[in-house]
Amino acid sequence: MLALVLRRLWQGAISILGASVIIFVISRLSGDPVVMLVPPDAPPSLIAEIRTQYGLDQPLVWQYLLFVGHALSGDFGNSYRWQMPALKLILDRLPATIQLAACGLLFSVALAVPIGVLSAVHRGGWIDRIGRIFAMLGQAMPAFWVGLLLILVFAVQLNWLPAFGHGTPAHVVLPAIALGWYPVAAQTRIVRSAMLDVLDSDHIRLSRALGTPERLIVWKYALRNAAVPLLTMLGVYFAAMLGGAFVVETIFAWPGVGRTVVEAVFSRDFPVVQAGVLFTSILFVLSNLLVDLSYGLVDPRIRDVR
Amino acid sequence: MVLEVHNLQTHLHLKRGILRAVDGISLSVGEGETLGLVGESGSGKTLTGLSLLRLLPKGSGRIAEGSIKLDGQELTTLSDSAMARDIRGRRIAMIMQDPMTSLNPVFSIGDQVSNPLRNHNIAHGATLRSKVIDVLTQVRIPSAEKRLGDYPHQFSGGQRQRIVAAMAIGCTPRLLVADEPTTALDVTIQVQIIALLRQIQADTGTGIILITHDLGVAASLCHRIAVMYAGRIVETGPVRRIYKSPAHPYTQALLAAIPRLGDKRARLQAIPGQPPSLIDPPTGCRFAPRCPARMDKCAEPPPTVTLADGHEAACWKLA
Repeated sequence: MLALVLRRLWQGAISILGASVIIFVISRLSGDPVVMLVPPDAPPSLIAEIRTQYGLDQPLVWQYLLFVGHALSGDFGNSYRWQMPALKLILDRLPATIQLAACGLLFSVALAVPIGVLSAVHRGGWIDRIGRIFAMLGQAMPAFWVGLLLILVFAVQLNWLPAFGHGTPAHVVLPAIALGWYPVAAQTRIVRSAMLDVLDSDHIRLSRALGTPERLIVWKYALRNAAVPLLTMLGVYFAAMLGGAFVVETIFAWPGVGRTVVEAVFSRDFPVVQAGVLFTSILFVLSNLLVDLSYGLVDPRIRDVR
Repeated sequence: MVLEVHNLQTHLHLKRGILRAVDGISLSVGEGETLGLVGESGSGKTLTGLSLLRLLPKGSGRIAEGSIKLDGQELTTLSDSAMARDIRGRRIAMIMQDPMTSLNPVFSIGDQVSNPLRNHNIAHGATLRSKVIDVLTQVRIPSAEKRLGDYPHQFSGGQRQRIVAAMAIGCTPRLLVADEPTTALDVTIQVQIIALLRQIQADTGTGIILITHDLGVAASLCHRIAVMYAGRIVETGPVRRIYKSPAHPYTQALLAAIPRLGDKRARLQAIPGQPPSLIDPPTGCRFAPRCPARMDKCAEPPPTVTLADGHEAACWKLA
């Protein structure tokens, strides 16, 4: 078990290092940040001075090594734009992003599991059909549109929930739905097909032959078998939500990492971009590690193989 | 009689038509008796077993006619919830073919063995636990108490089949339907499972229906044998008579097909031809197209002839 965790952490560290190289190079391909910081008519001497100040005149490899060296000691440099440590900027916004992604994931699972299970149990019936339409709707509508629609209906028309901002539990509802609806379709399909497989298996047949109530067969004995493929998918989606929430964060003015990084990209605020992407990739690696470890909780066979 | 089945007809409603998988069979099982249901694949043995539990394929399977009586109680008219509550696993239990897949891989065997006991209100709490240990010990799982929390993959194939048997006998059913319980196991383990079934019967007096295509296993365990062909029972009788003096040409061919040690013949003796389609079966004897002793009369339904006490066969040759 410990060996597994260490191995995965080592693999994760390499992934994060790779991500840091890519983001470092790509952000510098986008152009000169100093141009964004000075007035259009600034004299070249001023530009050169600022470049030296930020170390942007050094060779790229040297800049990268400096960045890694400082990053390891927790120093990601100051934001060019906000004039405050990039690390603090990101860490301040990280909880909000995690909160949003977790709520979005919770929403999608809370919808996908019952729909998927009932669709499998009543295969070809009306629940199956309606569930599929419902899930397809989510997948067919882009998150920004769902977000606007939700704001229009629940915030503007009905006035039930706040349209934007952050703070109370009510604030997280609409963005979580906007973020969580898209993966419902894929998750429903996974749960449905896994349940169909399990419900057709010998051990479920034996349970029936021994008089186990159908309710227990479906929600206890079959569902846990169907959980492994779902877990794999949840890991991927949670990571995707962490990194890809910026559209939803922007619409709902959610103070998360995604929005901050996107703004930083536009202003070529390299330290913030680097810190943001690095932390997103760390979360990505951690969430995958968590999924890997939770397989063992669900499936004892996996526990023993390792 | 524990079980009396009369003229049971089980149909599968398929897109191609109605498949008469079980077409008018009658059989009975007494207390402490083992009846072997023997026949090749597709002869309707397993569907006969599933019909007794009324666990037919959802949507397509239907018991069209006939009666199934357990201790005199008619089962074909019982509601499905009553079947689940009072019959399945409580008074009729079934063991399936493949022990490797018959146990739920993600639940401990303690949970799985206690499940029928809990559902049928046999035991709760601390008595449940000791009852589970008792049953597992009865099927000879070594140090059962320590292994309650173990999972199926931690047991061997033979042990898993024992655990399945433990699940089936926990509620001391009146009838045990064992569908090919030894087929997936190697020979030494087969012997152990056969011995176990004998012991279970001696302990509890349960009636057993053993569904098998293996005539050797049937011979070692059964008191009586019913030979099925294409959805019908063609011959039934005490095990010794069936093996010593088989009357129906199909039974004879089936026994002749078993290769024996020291046999000089080079080729195995197979039965030529194939069983008929059960969607539109021939009106007469169903074995006639493959039968070496075929006569003109075989185009009509054969009479059931009583040869000796309890030995019957459906064949024109004997009439």
